[in-house]
Amino acid sequence: MTLFDIIFTGSRQALEAAKATVAAAVEKKGSDARVAFPETAYSLPTIYAATGKKIGSLGELRDALSIVESLIVPEQNLEKALNAGLATALSAEIIEACKYAVEEKPYSEPCAGFISDAVIRSLGVPLVTGDIPGVAVVLGEAPSAEEAAKIIKGYQNKGLLVFLVGKIIDQAIEGKVKMGLELRVIPLGYDVTSVIHVVTVAIRAALIFGAVPPGNLEELLKYTKERVPAFVNALGSLSGLVVSAGAGAIALGFPVITDQDVQEVPHYLIVQKDYDKIVPTSLEARGIKIKITEVPIPVGFAAAFEGERVRKED
Amino acid sequence: MENCACNTCDAATKKLYEKAKSERIDTIWDRALAMQPQCGFGEMGLCCTNCSMGPCRIVKISEDGPKAGICGATEDTITSRNFARAVAAGAAAHSDHGRDIALALYHAGDKTRIRNEEKLFKIAGEWGITVEGKDTVQIAREMAERALGEFGKVFGKLQFLQRAPEKRIKLWDELGVAPGAIDREIVEVLHSTHMGCDADYRNIIRQAIRAALSDGWGGSMIGTELSDVLFGTPMPKKVEANLGVLKKECVNIVVHGHDPTLSEAIVLASRDPELLELARKQGAEGINVVGMCCTGNEIAMRQGIPMAGDFFQQELAIVTGAVEAMIVDVQCIMPSLATVAKCYHTKLITTSPKAKIPGAIHIEFNEQKSLEIARRIVKDAVMNFKNRKVEVFIPDDKSEGRIGYSFEAIIKALDRVTNSFAHPSGTVKPLVDAIKSGVLRGAAAIVGCNNHRQPHNTCHVTLAKELLKRDIIVVTTGCGAHACIKAGLMDKDARKYCGKGLATVCELLDIPPVLHMGSCVDISRILVLLSEVAKYMGVDISDLPVAAAAPEWMSEKAQSIGLYAVASGVYVILGVPPAVTGSENVTGYLTKGLESVLGGRFEIENDPVEAAAKIAAHVENRRKRLGI
Ligand code: SF4
Ligand code: SF4
Repeated sequence: MTLFDIIFTGSRQALEAAKATVAAAVEKKGSDARVAFPETAYSLPTIYAATGKKIGSLGELRDALSIVESLIVPEQNLEKALNAGLATALSAEIIEACKYAVEEKPYSEPCAGFISDAVIRSLGVPLVTGDIPGVAVVLGEAPSAEEAAKIIKGYQNKGLLVFLVGKIIDQAIEGKVKMGLELRVIPLGYDVTSVIHVVTVAIRAALIFGAVPPGNLEELLKYTKERVPAFVNALGSLSGLVVSAGAGAIALGFPVITDQDVQEVPHYLIVQKDYDKIVPTSLEARGIKIKITEVPIPVGFAAAFEGERVRKED
Repeated sequence: MENCACNTCDAATKKLYEKAKSERIDTIWDRALAMQPQCGFGEMGLCCTNCSMGPCRIVKISEDGPKAGICGATEDTITSRNFARAVAAGAAAHSDHGRDIALALYHAGDKTRIRNEEKLFKIAGEWGITVEGKDTVQIAREMAERALGEFGKVFGKLQFLQRAPEKRIKLWDELGVAPGAIDREIVEVLHSTHMGCDADYRNIIRQAIRAALSDGWGGSMIGTELSDVLFGTPMPKKVEANLGVLKKECVNIVVHGHDPTLSEAIVLASRDPELLELARKQGAEGINVVGMCCTGNEIAMRQGIPMAGDFFQQELAIVTGAVEAMIVDVQCIMPSLATVAKCYHTKLITTSPKAKIPGAIHIEFNEQKSLEIARRIVKDAVMNFKNRKVEVFIPDDKSEGRIGYSFEAIIKALDRVTNSFAHPSGTVKPLVDAIKSGVLRGAAAIVGCNNHRQPHNTCHVTLAKELLKRDIIVVTTGCGAHACIKAGLMDKDARKYCGKGLATVCELLDIPPVLHMGSCVDISRILVLLSEVAKYMGVDISDLPVAAAAPEWMSEKAQSIGLYAVASGVYVILGVPPAVTGSENVTGYLTKGLESVLGGRFEIENDPVEAAAKIAAHVENRRKRLGI
């Protein structure tokens, strides 16, 4: 299968899953049931930013499926492949929105799920000043907890904001990575679809700080590409769905670095099998230069630790 | 602009054509018109003049006309012989050019005249020339001798064939088309197409293939490689193009032709402070050297000298009234220039013993005294400044573009997207990845001339634009390059014509979507690029999603180029049919049969939009075969 075919297939799968999830939610709650993420003024941020439409109910969410469908056009070119990637992002948002529509509290410790507007606003300044030099999205599973911790701490040390999705969360815990917003390591959720919660961070950054008008997809993608220094590490076996989500990341301008055998795409999809090199490969791929010189002391020393209270007994 | 008799999409051309008309100067278009209707026998390749029993012609349109020449040669024999001879002539032109460059290298004399030692050493390594204990000049001399040997060596195959992918080399050997000495192959075509020799069209074309391959992988490649050694390997730079680059207040010198030995020397001489001072004394603001056709491409690629125009614009340059001297060497120089120049103050100066024109001033150039002669020529031009006769009219049309994409420059650009922690640098890997992933669908070369049978430049430009939107990256040389830069296709802004994939690649590599790779001999650079990509992928050139087109071709050189591309495994679209259509067998062989033999073939398609669709279909077909 060509890389684009893998993406199209993954996007179709995501769409099918979204359809089924919406149907189940409607079944359970009725089409008038309210749909919203907590503490945001941007409705379902991805759909809102891409289309300018705010979604209020499950019925409206069901209608939004056709937008996703229209984005999946399996023609062999980059434009269509990226659109399919965006479709996957929208499907993920739809699925995640259903979780919030159906359950009272779909996410619990250690997972954060949806990130509130307030948090994003608090991250805005350090992102602009470069105090947060980048945003790493690490998803999947590293070969061991040790490798996982090494990578995550590698970013943490440099002050990057790290989001975790999937099994890597457990590996991080096992590897004794200190987590939390103030430590700049945020586990999002175990399902692949929870990666959308970091996507919406980037998207809301464009809406809030970039004043990108909702519905202007082109400008949105330009902003994320130029202004949000994010990248993705996709570790462990890659399903078609993950690959198509990766295409979504690429559409936003975020390179994807993986430890798996895939057809590389110059600049955007890079294979790095040496786990010791994943961090520098990723930083170079996103053009992230670290402002603070690393200090070689045993404890990670960087902005990520600013929020950590040093307890007396330490 | 459609209604203009000159049938061009280029504004400067149209304006100057009209000026020529009003001044009653005949140009190429007028002569083409006067020639109508052109002879159908010649057009179809059915006319033979190879012996004095002829001329003979095969009559196809009626039952009772002759179906064989006086000697018995059939339409298959006659058309294939004519075609083979055209190819041989084209190969001869390129090869003689290559030889002159080799001679120039031989006579380089001192180290300062070898501007690219790195490449010298690289080729020396490739050819097994030991460098230890030798100085640069010695190595250059030895290399030049070896290169000159390629033209007439008695045994063995051409050195540069080794650059091809293994599968290709093997195929050539199996088919018996791997060329030996360059001149030998050309002579053999002339021999076997003599009356009473080869009558088997397949065998005649096989001979032509050997001659063509001796051009692409021999004469042209030697010309390019050694020009780089002598004058530097082109690297990206900005240049201006079109006749608007002439300057009213300056002494304008147009260098036209092919061999960079002359044009490089003229460029150097034009920077001589003494001559500049002289120019000022004559009332000029400076000396403005601009280039035309392929020699224009050479000095543009290396020195950033403005590209004044293409084949069809050569007369029009003089019509501006602003050209003090047009200095020419060999190939594609219309003899009519002498007549046109007579109406103005322009001095037409021929420089090669191989190409004199009645009515022109002849100042013979030679490699050993190149700068001295160049100074003399430039001085002549300067002294001619005050003789301008008519009112000068320089159209304000010019465009800008980034050119200089040698193979080496392309590799360097590709390095921009390698990740220093994940990838090797200095390879074609990023290009291969872009193609394999589907971001780029493929690559196409647009090369060749201008021809009155096709609307001027329109075909080059339309074809290029049609390819760009399909994410097919375009490389170009020759007058195709002139057309593309004039149309703005080598500008950053040209990304607007591209599909998302190609636009992304251009942005990441900081390149235009149409890459100017040089002059016609520099098509050898394309062969090198194709070979490296094929080798990297472990396939043959014929497996690659690539194609070539010569939408407005006219010269015998173009026929040689087309044939060596086909013989290298490339699908080649010709916008003008070669004179073989009188034989269904020969036409069928070139456009279909050859594919099963060589993996490449010709296609005849004069509509650039259709041509683009065919290239896209071919590219997708190759992708399917590769499973990408
Ligand atoms: S070679 Fe044969 S076909 Fe050609 S001119 Fe002589 S007799 Fe006629
Ligand atoms: S492209 Fe054709 S016309 Fe132009 S210089 Fe080359 S051979 Fe001559």
